[in-house]
Amino acid sequence: MPPSARHFEALGTTCSLFVAGAPGEHLERGEAWVRALQARLTRFEPDSELSRFNASAGAWIPVSEELEDLLREALRSWELSGGLVNVAVLSAMHGIGYRRPLREGPSGSIAVATPLPALPDVLEVTPGRARLRPEAGLDLGGLAKGWMADRLARRLGDNALANLGGDLAAQGAGPAGDGWPVEFGGHTLLLRDQGAATSSTRKRAWELGGERVHHLIDPRSGAPACGDLGEVSVVAPTALEAEVLAKTALLLGSGEAPAYLDGKAAAWWLLP
Amino acid sequence: MPAFVLKAGATLLTLLAAAASAAYVSSHVKNGAAPLHPAVLTAQVHAADVEAVTSTYAS
Repeated sequence: MPPSARHFEALGTTCSLFVAGAPGEHLERGEAWVRALQARLTRFEPDSELSRFNASAGAWIPVSEELEDLLREALRSWELSGGLVNVAVLSAMHGIGYRRPLREGPSGSIAVATPLPALPDVLEVTPGRARLRPEAGLDLGGLAKGWMADRLARRLGDNALANLGGDLAAQGAGPAGDGWPVEFGGHTLLLRDQGAATSSTRKRAWELGGERVHHLIDPRSGAPACGDLGEVSVVAPTALEAEVLAKTALLLGSGEAPAYLDGKAAAWWLLP
Repeated sequence: MPAFVLKAGATLLTLLAAAASAAYVSSHVKNGAAPLHPAVLTAQVHAADVEAVTSTYAS
């Protein structure tokens, strides 16, 4: 019996949810959960929880359980990536004209890029509260998608898959009992309690002031990444880890990426 | 054999070789987006010959 499926647009991308052997109403609730969290975690709405945190001017402020967990994961991801996955990227995003959803187009002009601060230097988290240095701002972007996919797959049931714009989490044995079949690098892989993600400089790219820019910022320069990889896909124990590994590998480039991924990722695919 | 036949033959051979080379090159254009090497799959994943329900993709 094929799994129940639901496809919808959210998080600026296409999302697909699947459950096997369970009622499809779970999927409707899953979509509602995605939309509710999107409203809280977007940087494009001034009254979202993330925007209020970004505007908190260095004060300790209460944060929800979800935002606290995401901020802790952001700090962990910074460590795992050797500082290459850094969510304190808001000013760099503004500097390349990414101030509003891409469907509305870029705005402003290209600003001079400066290296990003180390995330632990600007972000502190304690139970129920967090503090951000005044000049810093966060964009949770792909990290939030991976984190949400992991949580959503578990919420959907024992046998479900959540794919939020390519960041996907597969939970359980899949529709035929041998894993969830997912197309990856020219193969169909059977994923079971695993995640996958793709990081790319080919999408979310635009021209501003005659210059082609994209959304993937290299924290070492504060400018869009310009290495020899254009796209990296990774399978890992979770969608969040896959997201972090894929982005880090892309920033490291083809010379260092295989050694970095070996032992951390279950599968990977590198494209120039 | 007259000299002009040899010259014409050499010219024709040269033109044919150039045309064949051009045809081969234009039918084997390098794909700039081709992967650097096939996907690396460890023992932690299993491939199967079944239809996928979804895929990873850049967004």
